[in-house]
Amino acid sequence: MSRWLAVSLLALLLAGCATSPAREPPRELDFAYAPEATLRASAQVLMANGYVVRHADAELGRLEAVFSRWPGYRVRVEVSGEGERSRVSLTASRGGRPLPPQTLDRLLVEMQEQLGMWR
Amino acid sequence: MLRPQVWKKLRARAPVIGLAALLLAGCQTVPSTLPVAEPRPAAACSWPLGEQAPRALLGDAVAALEAEGFLIRHTDLALGLVSAERTRILPGYGDRYDRWDRRGVFGGIGIGGGRGGVSSGVMIGFGGVGSLTRDATQLERVSLLAGEGEVRVSRDIQVIDWRGELVEARSASTTEFCQRLRGAIEAGGRP
Repeated sequence: MSRWLAVSLLALLLAGCATSPAREPPRELDFAYAPEATLRASAQVLMANGYVVRHADAELGRLEAVFSRWPGYRVRVEVSGEGERSRVSLTASRGGRPLPPQTLDRLLVEMQEQLGMWR
Repeated sequence: MLRPQVWKKLRARAPVIGLAALLLAGCQTVPSTLPVAEPRPAAACSWPLGEQAPRALLGDAVAALEAEGFLIRHTDLALGLVSAERTRILPGYGDRYDRWDRRGVFGGIGIGGGRGGVSSGVMIGFGGVGSLTRDATQLERVSLLAGEGEVRVSRDIQVIDWRGELVEARSASTTEFCQRLRGAIEAGGRP
């Protein structure tokens, strides 16, 4: 009986390590700027922080950047909207596992500052 | 319901269980914010665009990067972006990590010798073939953004060893690299 309990307790504890990567919701924010300007601001801020942009397409409204530190970081930016309105959706992963959305808050703040400087 | 004896046993083991929980908690930690390059990208990695049109600069940038041996992976003219990469073989990189003394056969030979004559002599005698296949690959990734009156460059370096494992990963937006690239771009992409 007690052995079963110990085993199941251990299994529960270990489950913390073995869980398949849970899906994290993207971090989203609305900007009062055109989608292309918003996407450019994200590239500018990421590169100023040492990230390398691997792919970006203004028409698709999509950007992917990587950061070279073990185990490897990846940030994806998606921008939608039209005119002077855009909605940014950010997701990030560390070693292939999604990062919680609050890790992206600083990036959004820096994007807002960058867009303010350009205006 | 649990019998009182079981509870007693469990309570006696509580410290062990607690310790295990503490150890395992390490699996779950995530950083609270995204990492940034330390040190920050060099000031030379950003310069004013001047009178030049972004598109003309991008053309020169593509030529300059190709002249440096980079493979252009992606460009987007609407944003003013070029993304490129370059790979290089690092011969004998594995030897730096697979030290002879770690194998326990040659005692202290590897310690003082470094990569000098002593260790290469040993390599020929005992493991020459192995060291030939232990070349690592260095991958250098660069992105360049031109627009809003500014040009910005970022770069990183990864080293992948002969097993395919990542052994080195660092941000490398250095003054040396950015100045060289800027010089090549301003020379019209010709080295």
